[in-house]
Amino acid sequence: MTSMCEATIRELPGAAVIELAGEVDGSAAIVLTGAYERAVTSADAGGAVADGEVSTVVLDFAAVDYINSTGIALIVSVLARARAERRKVVASGLSPHYREIFDITRLSDFIELFPDVDRAVSQLTPPAA
Amino acid sequence: MTQITRPTPRRLDAFTLASEPGNERQALKRVAGSVAGLGLPEARLERLKTAVAEATMNAIEHGNGNRPEILVEIEVTLAGDEIVVAITDQGGQANAGTGEHTEPDLVKKLHGDQSPRGWGLFLIRNMVDAMDVTTDGQQHTIWLTMRTGGSAHDEHV
Repeated sequence: MTSMCEATIRELPGAAVIELAGEVDGSAAIVLTGAYERAVTSADAGGAVADGEVSTVVLDFAAVDYINSTGIALIVSVLARARAERRKVVASGLSPHYREIFDITRLSDFIELFPDVDRAVSQLTPPAA
Repeated sequence: MTQITRPTPRRLDAFTLASEPGNERQALKRVAGSVAGLGLPEARLERLKTAVAEATMNAIEHGNGNRPEILVEIEVTLAGDEIVVAITDQGGQANAGTGEHTEPDLVKKLHGDQSPRGWGLFLIRNMVDAMDVTTDGQQHTIWLTMRTGGSAHDEHV
């Protein structure tokens, strides 16, 4: 099944934002895990983020219109890996319905939720001196 | 003796889908269209759509084995203030998707003690006011009930 999910990575000091778009279901496995992999490792030799320096990964769901149970399983897998690597995962842009699903699955106990990516990032980036 | 009169169910829609992964999106869109105008609040409509999608996925995968030639049957009825969506596959008793399951435990999943999967039935149960399963020979049906004005699960919001 062709994936209807796209991921764009934005690198920030000490963090990476994975902007997801489309549908997060079982077919998104390669897209999501690949995006996580790229987000936490240097994209190329001149990449701004070196392996081990990304302490927080922001999953932005603002452009996601569908998440199903297999998508939840993918998010659980990413969260498990991030925790094993001592990285924090936060999420932004979830609709009220998917916030409810994050609550009942208890994902929100482990992933802090923000209304939008700007607020998520503002919590992560230390203010300029 | 008081007699309880139950309203006669009114069929809102009935359709079939080929058992191909991804077709659950068609099911949720069509069911959403069939209940439009019944006054179902937005949050409850979203829950019903998720439950329909998950139950249809289960029918496609576990009931009909992802075989496109075997159809998933979906019927939507309204009885009083209850919307009932019946989703039928041909898996009979073999449809393990709606059998007894270990309750998903996120902590165990994060520690690798449970598979990351296994959320489908849990989501369905938490999305609708009632879920029932019946088996008649090969026909295996999951019944999803959502009251148009009900408040079950509203505490989640």
